[in-house]
Amino acid sequence: MQMQMLHIFRNTPLGRETLLQSAYFCKQNDILPVIYIPKFVKFLMYFENDVVQVDLDGSYLREPDTAEKHAREIVTEMGLEDPRFLEPKHFTASTLPDIPVNFDFMSCPRSITDLSSKIGLGYIGPRVRRIVQSARFPVLIPSSVYKPWKSLAVMFGGSANALRTLRLGIKLSRISGLPLDVFTQEGKRKKKDYEQIIQDEGLAPEMDKYVRNWRIFEKEPFKVNLYEIPHDALILIGAFGHGLVKELLFGNTMEIVQTVCPNSMLIVGPNYRGSI
Amino acid sequence: MDDRLLLIFLGAVVGIFSGIAAVGLNRGLIAMSESFAGLHNYWWVFAVPGIGAALSSVFLEKFMKEGAGHGVPEVIYSVSRHGGLLRLRSAFSRLISSCVTIGSGGSAGPEAPVVISGASIGSNIARSFSLNERQRIALVGCGSAGALAAIFNAPITGLVFTIEIILGEWSALTIVPIAVASVAGAQVSRLLQGNQIAFTHLRFDVDITTTLAAVGLAVITAAVSIALTLALRHSHRVSGKIMLPLWLRAFTGGCLVGLIGLMLPEVLGEGYHTIQKMVEGTFTQGLGLVLLLVAAKIIATSFTLGWGGSGGIFAPCLVIGSFTGLMYHRLVDFLWPGLSWVNEGCFALLGMAGLVSGILQAPLTGMFLIIEITGGYETILPLILVSALSTTMCHAWEPASFYFKDLMERGHYLRPRTDAKVLADMSIDELVEKDCMTVSENMLLGDFIKVVQQSHRNYFPVVDKETGELKGMIHLDDIRPYLFDPLLYETVFLEQIMQTDIETVDIHEELSDVLDKMDVRGLFSMPVVANKRFVGMISKATLLDRYRHELIVQTQH
Repeated sequence: MQMQMLHIFRNTPLGRETLLQSAYFCKQNDILPVIYIPKFVKFLMYFENDVVQVDLDGSYLREPDTAEKHAREIVTEMGLEDPRFLEPKHFTASTLPDIPVNFDFMSCPRSITDLSSKIGLGYIGPRVRRIVQSARFPVLIPSSVYKPWKSLAVMFGGSANALRTLRLGIKLSRISGLPLDVFTQEGKRKKKDYEQIIQDEGLAPEMDKYVRNWRIFEKEPFKVNLYEIPHDALILIGAFGHGLVKELLFGNTMEIVQTVCPNSMLIVGPNYRGSI
Repeated sequence: MDDRLLLIFLGAVVGIFSGIAAVGLNRGLIAMSESFAGLHNYWWVFAVPGIGAALSSVFLEKFMKEGAGHGVPEVIYSVSRHGGLLRLRSAFSRLISSCVTIGSGGSAGPEAPVVISGASIGSNIARSFSLNERQRIALVGCGSAGALAAIFNAPITGLVFTIEIILGEWSALTIVPIAVASVAGAQVSRLLQGNQIAFTHLRFDVDITTTLAAVGLAVITAAVSIALTLALRHSHRVSGKIMLPLWLRAFTGGCLVGLIGLMLPEVLGEGYHTIQKMVEGTFTQGLGLVLLLVAAKIIATSFTLGWGGSGGIFAPCLVIGSFTGLMYHRLVDFLWPGLSWVNEGCFALLGMAGLVSGILQAPLTGMFLIIEITGGYETILPLILVSALSTTMCHAWEPASFYFKDLMERGHYLRPRTDAKVLADMSIDELVEKDCMTVSENMLLGDFIKVVQQSHRNYFPVVDKETGELKGMIHLDDIRPYLFDPLLYETVFLEQIMQTDIETVDIHEELSDVLDKMDVRGLFSMPVVANKRFVGMISKATLLDRYRHELIVQTQH
């Protein structure tokens, strides 16, 4: 069955940029865009072990009369078929719809609940984080302005989640035909350790086939090395279930990457179970 | 640790926290009521319930981003459709909002808010321990039972309410931890507030006259229950049509309650003090005034809950029920002046049971609640009669109780082991048969016959090779007329013989709708499409096979 991507549409210039990137992602990977035009400022997403209430900012309800027309235009002009418009079937309360979670991808701005004026580089909102942590699907966080990407860049640190991210990168590279670059920062593990992990996971043939370049940074801090990521690449990165304190004290790769890179990102949460 | 022992242990923990939440609300209400006690002499006091309702509404809508209402249907919905997942904010949001509404004089009760609070505590504890769905539902029940047990100091009522209303099933897995949680909640309440019974226990000499008279009371309480239900719904509908912000609607409703309260202060707040006087037989107002109070309390409750205030229906039911019982007793006394029978306080109790049972359509909850909050067993015979008859009559008029009405209207009333629940727990996605051989419109009949030879199916979807769009279907019967004429093999294309007027199923449809379609059209299998693209076939045989499997899973615990 064709893969599907959920997109919460806002009928504003910023919403247009976001949908353009979702549509671009869908076009590259033969994904059906499923667009939800909110009629209420909040909705619930019931995941397997969590329920996330998303409280949208008021701009999501703007110009409802033209929202569907605009969304359809953006998608079809990208060369895609008509999108599916999601109408919630279930409501927890009369003004609190339940949005299904059985999608293959979801597109989310960096923050879905705050005013768009507050959205900036280096900030991913708490609701988006909870969605990433609970969802079985990866979350696409588009950059503020539509910029087609010409390659895929996987941040690979050797963990189980990084392996899932790498598998997703290989899968998307296979489907879209885009070149795939892998970036690794050496730490306690050395190059041969990473290669061994790839061998153990049986990913070596796919790496040989799909990966254009595997950059392993030995020197310089990670932040500095991020300059090597192409400006027109879609970054794929794993997110962990770190608590707030741990994030504040130690940070993690995702935090550093999303703070430094303005690229569109595809974040793979701990519950993602996709295969190549 | 063994799963059952873990659940019992966690049930006790949930019961303790729910009990603390309930005691917290109770203390908050006492504090608010003491704060407002000195305001009765001011002319503007009528606006206090309005301000309380408005604040409560703003708090829920703007700060907590939750809707108004008491929350019990939300708990039932969550249990039946989402494995008991509840938001953490529900653990305290309605406690605060209902405290403000009721404490300022709104006509509502604290019981439903503590139920959603306890349920949310249970759900979130289950989440942090990554428990499975059935265990999480059990802990939601534990929270509800512990909270209700604590607020009424009534452990059996907590248990019975949870089983009867929230979960809708008795099972070994759930009943033990819920019982433990009930005990824990009630024990917390006793430790922090003392072992108080809500209403002083009085001895009543219940004889055959009382028991027979209870039948008449059941009819009256059923009628009043129906009136209250109608008033609440009508009030909700009317307020929904008024184009005012929610807080302003809540303010208006609260002020109207305040105005009623200026003349009849008994309608304000949860009203337990008034009930106490009725049970003790010290409520001296005449029959006419009691009748007026029944109507006034119904109207005040409708304005409070229907216009955006926060709180539950339990306490108003008890107050209206006791007024109704008193009214009935005095009416009988008026008609048969020389009748020697039980004290009117007994009928106040019976009236409460009748109203609770009628509104909630939960006779056991009504019975046990009255027994526990009065600490007496003497009234058990008429109590059972009133509860059972009131429930039956209300059910005959409206099969859905107050808590279930909205859920049933939205198709969300999914009780365990029912057809709707089994179907809701399955999805088309998992039933689609994808081993179908698809053919294209421009395939020649001769080529198609070769395909038929390799397939074991009778149906062949015709799809557009490029887009995957479903164009039609071919059944083996459709080619029978052409089979014995080999000349046609090279001249007939499938698009000439395929059926194009076919009924399809969207992959996102509900299974109950799919079964309805199959039944109405007498079909045994249908093509499934996603965005017009063919995905596979769904057959009644596979569906019923999985249905049976799912039913076994649901009933084995």
